[in-house]
Amino acid sequence: MGKEESYELGPRGPAAPKAPKGRGRRKQERLEDMKKEMDVDDHKLELPDLEAKYCTSIAKGLVGAVAAERLLRDGPNELRPPRGTPECVKFGRQLAGGLQCLMWVAAAICLIAYGVQEGQGDRGSADNLYLAIALIAVVVVTGCFGYYQEFKSTNIIASFKNLVPQQATVIREGDKLQINANELVVGDLVEIKGGDRVPADIRIISAQGCKVDNSSLTGESEPQTRSPECTHDSPLETRNIAFFSTMCLEGTATGLVINTGDRTIIGRIASLASGVENEKTPIAIEIEHFVDIIAGLAIFFGATFFVVAMVIGYPFLRAMVFFMAIVVAYVPEGLLATVTVCLSLTAKRLARKNCVVKNLEAVETLGSTSVICSDKTGTLTQNRMTVAHLWFDNQIHTADTTEDQSGQSFDQSSETWTLLSRVVTLCNRAQFKAGQENVPVAKREVIGDASETALLKFAEVTVGTVSEARGRFPKVAELPFNSTNKFQLSVHAAGDRQLLVLKGAPERVLERCSTVMIKGQELPLDAQWREAFEGAYADLGGRGERVLGFCARWLPAGTVAAGTDPEALPEVAVGLCFAGLVAMIDPPRATVPRAVLKCRTAGIRVIMVTGDHPITAKAIAAAVGIISEGSETPEDVAARLRVPLEQVDPRQARARVVTGAELAGMEPGVLEGILRAHPEMVFARTSPQQKLVIVESCQRLGAIVAVTGDGVNDSPALKRADIGVAMGIAGSDAAKNAADMILLDDNFASIVTGVEQGRLIFDNLKKSIAYTLTKNIPELTPYLIYITASVPLPLGCITILFIELCTDIFPSVSLAYERAESDIMHLKPRNPRRDRLVNEPLAAYSYFQIGAIQSFAGFTDYFVAMAQEGWWPLLCLGLRPRWEDTHEQELQDSYGQQWTFEQRRYQQYTCYTVFFISIEMCQIADVLIRKTRRLSLLQQGLFRNHILVIAIVFQVSIGCFLCYCPGMPNIFNFMPIRFQWWFVPMPFGLLILIYDEIRKLGVRRHPGSWWDRELYY
Amino acid sequence: ETKAEMGNKTWADLAGEMKTFLWNPEERTCLGRTAKSWGLILLFYFIFYTCLAGMFAFCMYVMLLTLSPYTPTYRDRVAPPGVMIRPYLNGFTIAFNVSKRSTWQPYVDSMHHFLAAYDDKVQEEKNIECISGKYFIQGGNESEEKKACQFKRSLLQNCSGIEDQTFGYSRGQPCILLKMNRIIGYRPGAGVPVGVDCKVQKGNESDLRSVDFYPGNGTFDLMYYPYYGKITHVNYTSPLVAMHFTDVKRNSLVPIQCSLHGKGIVNDVNSDRFLGRIIFTLSIGK
Repeated sequence: MGKEESYELGPRGPAAPKAPKGRGRRKQERLEDMKKEMDVDDHKLELPDLEAKYCTSIAKGLVGAVAAERLLRDGPNELRPPRGTPECVKFGRQLAGGLQCLMWVAAAICLIAYGVQEGQGDRGSADNLYLAIALIAVVVVTGCFGYYQEFKSTNIIASFKNLVPQQATVIREGDKLQINANELVVGDLVEIKGGDRVPADIRIISAQGCKVDNSSLTGESEPQTRSPECTHDSPLETRNIAFFSTMCLEGTATGLVINTGDRTIIGRIASLASGVENEKTPIAIEIEHFVDIIAGLAIFFGATFFVVAMVIGYPFLRAMVFFMAIVVAYVPEGLLATVTVCLSLTAKRLARKNCVVKNLEAVETLGSTSVICSDKTGTLTQNRMTVAHLWFDNQIHTADTTEDQSGQSFDQSSETWTLLSRVVTLCNRAQFKAGQENVPVAKREVIGDASETALLKFAEVTVGTVSEARGRFPKVAELPFNSTNKFQLSVHAAGDRQLLVLKGAPERVLERCSTVMIKGQELPLDAQWREAFEGAYADLGGRGERVLGFCARWLPAGTVAAGTDPEALPEVAVGLCFAGLVAMIDPPRATVPRAVLKCRTAGIRVIMVTGDHPITAKAIAAAVGIISEGSETPEDVAARLRVPLEQVDPRQARARVVTGAELAGMEPGVLEGILRAHPEMVFARTSPQQKLVIVESCQRLGAIVAVTGDGVNDSPALKRADIGVAMGIAGSDAAKNAADMILLDDNFASIVTGVEQGRLIFDNLKKSIAYTLTKNIPELTPYLIYITASVPLPLGCITILFIELCTDIFPSVSLAYERAESDIMHLKPRNPRRDRLVNEPLAAYSYFQIGAIQSFAGFTDYFVAMAQEGWWPLLCLGLRPRWEDTHEQELQDSYGQQWTFEQRRYQQYTCYTVFFISIEMCQIADVLIRKTRRLSLLQQGLFRNHILVIAIVFQVSIGCFLCYCPGMPNIFNFMPIRFQWWFVPMPFGLLILIYDEIRKLGVRRHPGSWWDRELYY
Repeated sequence: ETKAEMGNKTWADLAGEMKTFLWNPEERTCLGRTAKSWGLILLFYFIFYTCLAGMFAFCMYVMLLTLSPYTPTYRDRVAPPGVMIRPYLNGFTIAFNVSKRSTWQPYVDSMHHFLAAYDDKVQEEKNIECISGKYFIQGGNESEEKKACQFKRSLLQNCSGIEDQTFGYSRGQPCILLKMNRIIGYRPGAGVPVGVDCKVQKGNESDLRSVDFYPGNGTFDLMYYPYYGKITHVNYTSPLVAMHFTDVKRNSLVPIQCSLHGKGIVNDVNSDRFLGRIIFTLSIGK
């Protein structure tokens, strides 16, 4: 049968690759251990020995009591989910980040200050207690929030697990029972039939035409025959073992359970995957990077002003409280929540586009990805054999391989096609399952193997209802396909004649033909036609397609009697008329070529890594554009130049196909060289371990690697990758467990969406963080001025917490909805070393420029509010000690009026509120300028991001509520402020807008200039 | 170098990196910048902050232009008035032993010191006599100097410290002066003089048996209001009410609350214990 035979199955088991150095070596050794463990010998044992080994009977099965005992001993027959972190540890981690620790320290200082003041009998120091409670609440609430987000995304995955327990047919004490598959034990006698999932590792005892799909284990898309004979030393190769969780496609078999649960082959690979350590996501590295910086700066500022306060002569406790206040002011409390929300918003958006993210941070990883290692079967291809080409009338016709039959069809007017289609229809044992009349043909379920299914569907679509045609030509006798004959034939009654139809491996079919039909004429099969046939066969085979030949012959009625021994049929089948060739392939998904092209424009390299044959792999790679048009492999170059392969300069060949066997023979470091030399790579016939090695090599080259796959064999690589992408429909549980992201529609094109969203969220997070960081300066400066110039405190800690966690959260999250400034899919992936999330210009611009403007705005409004109430700016300087004296009830203002302490306190709250409003006003300007980093606001559209507009309105509303809601002064220290104080900071807001436009103009006009370098973040 | 190796820096590496960051002799950079680069960026920030400070100063200037030097723009935060007592040394507990002069002498000194400005001679010299029972409203230009009404010390009679130089402290009958906080333009009582009364704040009512009030019945005469601010109303002296605690339980802490009564006076705000009232403790020993 064409291709299948041209690639003898080599030792497919994990060929030991040369161990890379360091950590890799340890892993390799472990993998080798794993390999050794797989050396079960059950397949070599004779049945009686097997019975003895497992104390069971191959006729009656286990005794119930023994089974129960074994179930107790071995545990249920299911894969143990990878051991997760305990929930309390996960929660604890949320409470113990860098910033959170600082907050804990701040809260502790508050409590100590409260305790000391209370001890001194000082009343009215409850503020510190409130603040401590507020700080702890902030940490706990943001911790809960982060935990909830994490919990939610883990839950999405949990929902993937099959809720309905799988059933298995088991024979115990001679009775056939249906039990839950997880109750199976070693030694159980089970029956499987087409459509079942194999419930455990099973040694086959008897089988009738049993075929299994091992693709999730080996990546092989061909169905594998299972029979009782031991055909190979390796348990992975032998035919008499069926593996846990593979599908039985057709036939029936009875077998003895030899391994259950985690001890199955699949279980071992899955636990291998869980042993591979997870890389930190790039965004996690980025966030850690800047949290460290911020925490460091907070401590630096706090300590500096602690020292300053001590030098100025404040008491120790007071200085500690200053330290605490500075930490509270400087730490962006709401930032981590903002980042989490932004990421989860993107995750939600991706989920709508069928990408489900397991780990929130993985949302961004695709955006940084520079290499995608993609599995072929099921990811790039449709994972279903489809008729791709036909050869009849000495011409190659192209069939429609699109998923929805939207492509072009071929000319069907020829007489030859009538014959060929009839042979295709009749010489086929596959049939549709009943009750699917309303289902599109491509989606109907079929009983039969992959190629017969393909032919059946092809016939149904091109000719019409197959069952009707079969009814008109009732089957008289048939010879099923077997590997010796390599053909199948059947004889049908056709009125007063009989029609013999035959299909099989083209060379075998041709042997039996004496004529060929061309345009309805039967012509003798001479050398010329044979040459044409050979040409077409080679051509189609070269495209990685599986080719079948079809022929037929009209016989007089009664030539073959009903019930004739099938073995006698080949004798009749001579002197046939050759009708044509049909070539099938698992075709690429329609969306994949465009997606691959998009990846390339986005500077992402797509590498194919498959367990399939090199020729098929190369053909598909070429079809989807992984090997682009005009690119040659060294073999192609050698063939073109007619030189031996060794003389080919690797630089001449853009593409290269490397097989698992070649990979196994490579010295360490060679693979990296190859990856560098050839931009277009295809790896074929690779083992799970080799996939791992390929991923690691790419990572050693500095790439951020995404791996897509569906099989268990992909799961170690999925886990090792910076981001593993599993297929939701075809994917095995092991793959889904190992992956960070799941494509619900199994569509590679969704990855491109992921890349786009990942890049967008990186840009938008940058904007969000810039926005969030800015206000830390106007929050910090009041304290600095308070300490150094002794003015009445302009902004309180509680108010700061409100800014951080209440009003400014919405605008900063709304920036996540901002659209991209330029075509991000035309840029190269970011360089994780150079393009940081938070870089120096971003911090400098936010802190020292916009933050400074905001501070000035705040102080302007503060001094205005003080002066209008009677406290002129110069009087304020140095006023603090008397202002804060609780006994001072007649403090004179600039006009000679006398104020009680409480009146001053409310005035101070007024200042807090005024400063708060100033920051809010400036933050509105800030959020507007953060919409773009390079483009003018007018180019981006001021109001196009509706969420942002809503967020601003919401922010102002909350501001109003805090100011004017009765009761606020005594609860949260907000006072109703005068109308005009809202407008005092506006000139500064305007300044921010104008200044940033000037900055952007400079950046756009003079790329690479000093201005660009210093001010573009 | 892989990402994994990036995470595995030793402290020595870090220190080395830090040192290079502080001063890189090869590229002659300090903190990652060359001298020229530092110069440029500092110049930039100098200009930037100069402009910003200029804008701030301009805003302040404009704001100060809009302010009147005589009347604050808003006075609602400071009204209604707070209350204060004299003697005030360092708290609101007045405790002394009659027999020990040193315990009450500081209070007496404080009273004398405070009342110096109310000496009849000083008052006659600086201030004018006004018509009692009427607000002393002075029209004319805001910037004109305003006249102040005389509040003579002698009005306080027994608490004036003229006859009894110890203000009754030597007899265990202390005088305490009550004054209302000054608020520009404020007319307390809306035509009816604001009165004062005192009671035991918490505890036995009988601890405080009698209080005498001077002048009059313990009212603030209307003629002392309104106040016009410290620039124009230079010689203004706040009117006082003296409370003579002639019979207070001895040898115990007696918390006393004295409050103002009148239209527009607020004396029951929980959070502010000095608004329209004052709470102090008397503790008179033998």
